[in-house]
Amino acid sequence: MNALEIRNLVKRFGGLTATNDLSFDLAQGESLGLIGPNGAGKTTVFSQIMGELKQTSGTITFMGREISGLSTPDRIARGISRTYQVPRPFTDLSVRENIRVGLMPDSLRAMIFGTVDRAREDEIAHSVGFATTDLDRPASELAMGDLRKLEFARTLATGAKVLLLDEVFAGLTTGEIAMIAELIQDLRGRGFTFLMVSHDLPAMEPLIDRAIAIERGTLLADGSFKDVLANAEVRASYLGEA
Amino acid sequence: MPGLAQTLFITASGAGMNLRPHHFILWALFIAGMLLMPELVGRGTLRTMVFACYLAIFAISWDILSGRTGYISFGHPFLVGIGAYTTAILTRRYGFPVEASIPIAVLVTMFGGLIVLLPALRIKGSYFALVTLAVMELMYQLVPVVRPDLTGGTRGISRLPALTRGAENGYYLAVCLMLAVALFAWLLMRTRLGTALWAIGQNEESVRGSGLSTTRLKSFAFLVSAAIAGLGGAFYAHYLGTITPRAFFDINVLFQIIVAVLIGGAGTILGPIIGAFFMVFLLEWLRPFLPGQERFFVYGAIALLIYMYQPKGIMAIIESGITRLRGART
Repeated sequence: MNALEIRNLVKRFGGLTATNDLSFDLAQGESLGLIGPNGAGKTTVFSQIMGELKQTSGTITFMGREISGLSTPDRIARGISRTYQVPRPFTDLSVRENIRVGLMPDSLRAMIFGTVDRAREDEIAHSVGFATTDLDRPASELAMGDLRKLEFARTLATGAKVLLLDEVFAGLTTGEIAMIAELIQDLRGRGFTFLMVSHDLPAMEPLIDRAIAIERGTLLADGSFKDVLANAEVRASYLGEA
Repeated sequence: MPGLAQTLFITASGAGMNLRPHHFILWALFIAGMLLMPELVGRGTLRTMVFACYLAIFAISWDILSGRTGYISFGHPFLVGIGAYTTAILTRRYGFPVEASIPIAVLVTMFGGLIVLLPALRIKGSYFALVTLAVMELMYQLVPVVRPDLTGGTRGISRLPALTRGAENGYYLAVCLMLAVALFAWLLMRTRLGTALWAIGQNEESVRGSGLSTTRLKSFAFLVSAAIAGLGGAFYAHYLGTITPRAFFDINVLFQIIVAVLIGGAGTILGPIIGAFFMVFLLEWLRPFLPGQERFFVYGAIALLIYMYQPKGIMAIIESGITRLRGART
């Protein structure tokens, strides 16, 4: 069974078609790169998969079940979650509290009367590379690389096994890119499934099994990273080669 | 009793409130200090403190919704007013005992707020604020003209049954109510729910993206906020003995609530209490020098100065002072 099956997805904003009859599959345990020029509609695809945007038509099937009618929290509860192009931390909260929000069950009763699992919070924080001394720091004090790690940690805390990573290397230094890449490789080794967007193709290449390219919401190519980049339409639209 | 205290401590710690012994000590000192006030101050000051206590209750109520989630409510006087009018109508027009009318007033406030203001929680920012303001203004206009036989019209309802007699008893009732509300809110905000509400104020999309239903969280915050506003409004009405539309559904009531929270410190429990006491006493101290409305200019200027100096309010000033003291010692 595929983790994700997108069929004939269409999203229109008035006269603009942001996603145009897009179909692709994501197998369980696979890591898929989604590439395309700026404005190609990559983030719009993510937003539709997560239910933040309602598609105009088409179906989104997750683990064999059509999820188009589910709310974002319900989709996350089923095991799919995302990071954002620009990290969205809770700036006044500490690293530990940010992770706590991801760990919370979607139940008022459990939130009030349930216990805080500090050991699990620490474990997740350490798994993405935070030191113990970082855990009580407010997110407002973190550098971009740490904010990406925090976003990862909060996403992992939801219990999702399928992660959508949007512009995962944006704004990072070379060292931070290596750190995040190592983290993704580690998670791949632990069976996580990825759909990731990045303009940093050299950094993304070793992290994916397959790639798809889109432009103006339309699928241009689907195959190995090398085959997709060798595609004439992709080279023309994305790399600007005639 | 030690057994009970120990059980409470373990339960609260286990529920993620992370309570420490010094929390119990500080609360005990605070409660003892407030309860000893009648021995230390005169009756006039006690009466001023009663108003400060009720304003603190309204400010805590506002802060639970607006200070935490960032949904700025301009309609809180509407909630306070529903509580006050419900108990007033029930006791004066239908002969209900106060013991029954106040719980009913709380439920009516929650229900009324739910119908009128809850749909507004789906809209954000200034739109939410404007809708809540419109609701309050609507009530101000409607109450005097719709069923004046019940509401008393513009003259309101007078001779409400009193809950206590004398300044001291009035003070004890108000301060106990304020302390109960403050303790309840403090404990609630120390749970994971409090963290989630605070997170909504920082980035609602991220909370939803963490798998939490923000609509449910905001609704809960709203209901708790409405219940406290209704409770405070009902007790306040019986303390005053008379209620009028202008005393509740008025923009000045709204400003007093919001300014108390902002200068005290939003997102804290002590902040709104400190802000309410600071404001009420400041206005009283200014009264001999500026008996007219001009004292509101002075108080507004002082509030603005505090806000400009420390936007997180007096609580942040106190906290930074404590941090400096600790630093100086080490």
